[in-house]
Amino acid sequence: MSAVVVSSVTKIFNKGRPDEVAALSDVDLTVGDGEFVSLIGPSGCGKSTLLRLIADLIPPTTGTVTVAGKGAGKARKEQAYGIAFQQAGLFEWRTVLRNVELPLELRGTAKAERRARAEQMLALVGLADFAGHYPAQLSGGMQQRVAIARALAVQPPLLLMDEPFGALDEMTRERLQSELLGICAKTGTSTVFVTHSISEAVFLSDRVVVMSARPGRITASITVDLPSRDDAGRQSPAFFDKITEVRQALRGTPVKAAP
Amino acid sequence: MRWVRNVLPPVLVGVAAIVLWELTVSLGRIAPFILPAPSAIWDELVAQRQNVWEAALASGENALIGLAAGAALGILAAMAASRFRPLTEVSIPFAAVLNALPIIALAPILNNMFESTSSIPRRLVTAIIVFFPIFVNTLRGLREVNPIHQELMHTYAASGWTFARKVRLPGALPYVFTGLRQASSLAVIAAVVAEYFGGLQTGLGSRITSAAAFTAYPRAWAFVVGACLLGLVFYLTTLVLERVAMPWRTRLIA
Repeated sequence: MSAVVVSSVTKIFNKGRPDEVAALSDVDLTVGDGEFVSLIGPSGCGKSTLLRLIADLIPPTTGTVTVAGKGAGKARKEQAYGIAFQQAGLFEWRTVLRNVELPLELRGTAKAERRARAEQMLALVGLADFAGHYPAQLSGGMQQRVAIARALAVQPPLLLMDEPFGALDEMTRERLQSELLGICAKTGTSTVFVTHSISEAVFLSDRVVVMSARPGRITASITVDLPSRDDAGRQSPAFFDKITEVRQALRGTPVKAAP
Repeated sequence: MRWVRNVLPPVLVGVAAIVLWELTVSLGRIAPFILPAPSAIWDELVAQRQNVWEAALASGENALIGLAAGAALGILAAMAASRFRPLTEVSIPFAAVLNALPIIALAPILNNMFESTSSIPRRLVTAIIVFFPIFVNTLRGLREVNPIHQELMHTYAASGWTFARKVRLPGALPYVFTGLRQASSLAVIAAVVAEYFGGLQTGLGSRITSAAAFTAYPRAWAFVVGACLLGLVFYLTTLVLERVAMPWRTRLIA
């Protein structure tokens, strides 16, 4: 079963009004189980809109979205996915640990169990020592790691991320990319990752989905197969080849069809 | 060291101002009924300390009860107004009218509505005065929700009540305390001023008017100092409460 199936989805904002915007036009996307898919494209191409459709934060105008075999709305109510945004969006009045506990709390998980789970997630992102801190006491990169731990807390089969590393410096960003890959490999989570960084998309993904703007459409789907996902992988010729391929697809010059 | 750097300048300025005041009065031969010297006020304060203390307790009790009632009403009204949008539009002009009510106009009328030994009119005046800053600030806090928090709670399929309890209320706390900080000093002013219009003669306001009526100006000033200290106690207590209620705020005055 596929983690996400988006079929012939269009999204029109302010339909029937003078400021009508066609954000997405006839989009089809399938994310396999355990697959890491990046959405990349110029701003305004609807990549965030597509992610929010999968998250059921907005409804599609036409077409259907299926998450883990269920309708997107049902999947959201069952917390079938974890989500992280560009801003960490932590609750500043809760300690780091209680921030991670929140989704479990709303699920009605018993106190002892959610504490244990939250501690485990914090250990996974390397912040076990900061459980008692408040978000304001952490750096931006650490806050983002807490947000990822929170997204993973319910152990969702699907992770949705909207430029989660966009506001971070290059060094922190690369470290978190490696950590994220490690976590996804360990937990077997499928991921949809929105980014505007070509190298980030290529390094992280099994598949890079390239989109174009006005109206938002998928123009290419490029499978990435790196020899390794580490510093050596970042230096490999395959990595640079794929970056070139994605860049060409973004510019609209013809590329070989992806398998 | 930081503590010294923060505290020393205002203390120095205060001491300098008092010295200047003393010198102006004594060297400028200003009559005591125009402006008494600080030393005279101090002597009077020491002599009257028992009276000042008792009057401060009486006024303080009225201010505290009025503040608590006004704050509770303000917060509840803000919660209701933020929950039901039409209520917001209705309540804001209503609260503004309440805010425009001058205490000086209100106190004599309320005094006549109750018996002369009743403390209720003073507490009512105080409650009405503190209502507005608390209502307005709390309402603003309740309505300003980080859009990411809203979306996150939506992805957690949280109900309206859960959302209010876990996000809206804690998020509004800094605003509630901004309102309480303004209200705490206002409460003391309102309680003291309300005493100017008759009724029980136990509080600071009645003591100030009667001392002034007897041309005992240093004594009147001694009670003014008492009122000032009472206001400070209210304000500082609110600051401490704010600190205790919001441990995630690292600085005392944001």
